[in-house]
Amino acid sequence: MEVLVLEPTLYTVKAIFIIDNDGERILAKYYDNPYPSVKEQNAFEKNIFNKTHRTDRAIALLEGLTVVYKSNIDLYFYVIGSSHENELMLVAVLNCLFDSLSQMLRKNVEKRTLLENMEAVFLAID
Amino acid sequence: MIKKFDKKDEELGSGSNPYQQLEKSAVLQEARLFNETPLNPRKCLHILTKILYLLNQGEHFGTTEATEAFFAMTKLFQCNDQTLRRMCYLTIKEMANISEDVIIVTSSLTKDMTGKDDVYRGPAVRALCRITDMTMLQGIERYMKQAIVDKVASVSSSALVSSLHLLSTSYDVVKRWVNEAQEAASSDNIMVQYHALGLLYHIRKTDRLAVTKMVNKFTKSGLKSPFAYCMLIRIASKLLEEAEGGQDSPLFDFIEGCLRNKHEMVVYEAASAIVHLPNCTARELAPAVSVLQLFCSSSKPALRFAAVRTLNKVAMKHPSAVTACNLDLENLITDSNRSIATLAITTLLKTGSESSVDR
Repeated sequence: MEVLVLEPTLYTVKAIFIIDNDGERILAKYYDNPYPSVKEQNAFEKNIFNKTHRTDRAIALLEGLTVVYKSNIDLYFYVIGSSHENELMLVAVLNCLFDSLSQMLRKNVEKRTLLENMEAVFLAID
Repeated sequence: MIKKFDKKDEELGSGSNPYQQLEKSAVLQEARLFNETPLNPRKCLHILTKILYLLNQGEHFGTTEATEAFFAMTKLFQCNDQTLRRMCYLTIKEMANISEDVIIVTSSLTKDMTGKDDVYRGPAVRALCRITDMTMLQGIERYMKQAIVDKVASVSSSALVSSLHLLSTSYDVVKRWVNEAQEAASSDNIMVQYHALGLLYHIRKTDRLAVTKMVNKFTKSGLKSPFAYCMLIRIASKLLEEAEGGQDSPLFDFIEGCLRNKHEMVVYEAASAIVHLPNCTARELAPAVSVLQLFCSSSKPALRFAAVRTLNKVAMKHPSAVTACNLDLENLITDSNRSIATLAITTLLKTGSESSVDR
């Protein structure tokens, strides 16, 4: 029998990452340990990217995890959570991240501006 | 040398990544600049960013080199540049596990967390808790208790979340902070309230009676934060599940009441909680199913996804309860999101009769 009720916890987000057009990691933060090594993380990111880019579906269930995402110009933003997680909470995180960045960068959130303001991005996610 | 690097970054032009060709050894070499006086905040900030970028890309730092960089970084505390200081906090957190003797910054962080500048205090609390081990925790306990009840939301939230992280290593110390957390739980700030409730639950989760009391208290007084509501719904449904009793307890009434909350997030959490309760009767399911039905026609893909996924689960146990939604589900078959469409089809297969298959 599957887990019926999710253990109440404050650990909602498993990972956040920002990936560019080519599927390369710009930034990634893992809050849990489903993919402890860098190699596994990269493979996971590539996999998610391949399954999601060029679609504007906003949400998907991949590798048993709920993935909410958003793309903008040449960037892809992902927020990953458990498949039992309240999807709307994950969307709230994603929107918060994206809106904060838009406000901080004061223009289009694209790869170049993002890299020019990397420290701000680190601080925002923190 | 740094100047050259900066220039090179700019010349690379758009499209390319200025951080791409970074060499770890070169960056660590640059970090020696931190020892210079007077400091150049802008340059140092750039170097720190490079270090963090390398760490983020998964570059491996040896203990010696990490420690060296860490100690160089501590020199930056002399500078009062706001962004630079905050990057220092980040570096401390990222290096806490790979560098040695990180406790050297304890006094600087304690100073910042009790200082006047609110911008520093929250991040300083979080950095401090990362480098603190069980033996040192008692030394800062007083400050932590103060920070939890601080009236600045970011400080209070930071302290609560840090306490939660500390719980796994120093349960006995953190559980003494219950009173402070309790006070924070009545905060007007939605994040503080959420974090406080989370911490309280985690401290008490082994004590069923305490959890029940807590849930009763909050279901009566109500909460401001939608996140906290979601959390409370989860705790309540866990209690209900363990009780295995009838669903007519006040806990169930509370969850059902949340179906009328003004936040979609809470409504969905409540509906999904009801659906997942064991031995739920069709009559009890009905209100939950009807809000899910409403969500099916939402403009937000995530909401449609959530709704149809939950209905899919209902259909496994109570196909008849979902039949009312068949029309809405049929609309979703052509949804632009393939996951939603697939889920809609499988759900329909479980509930559909011959007549609907034809359509």
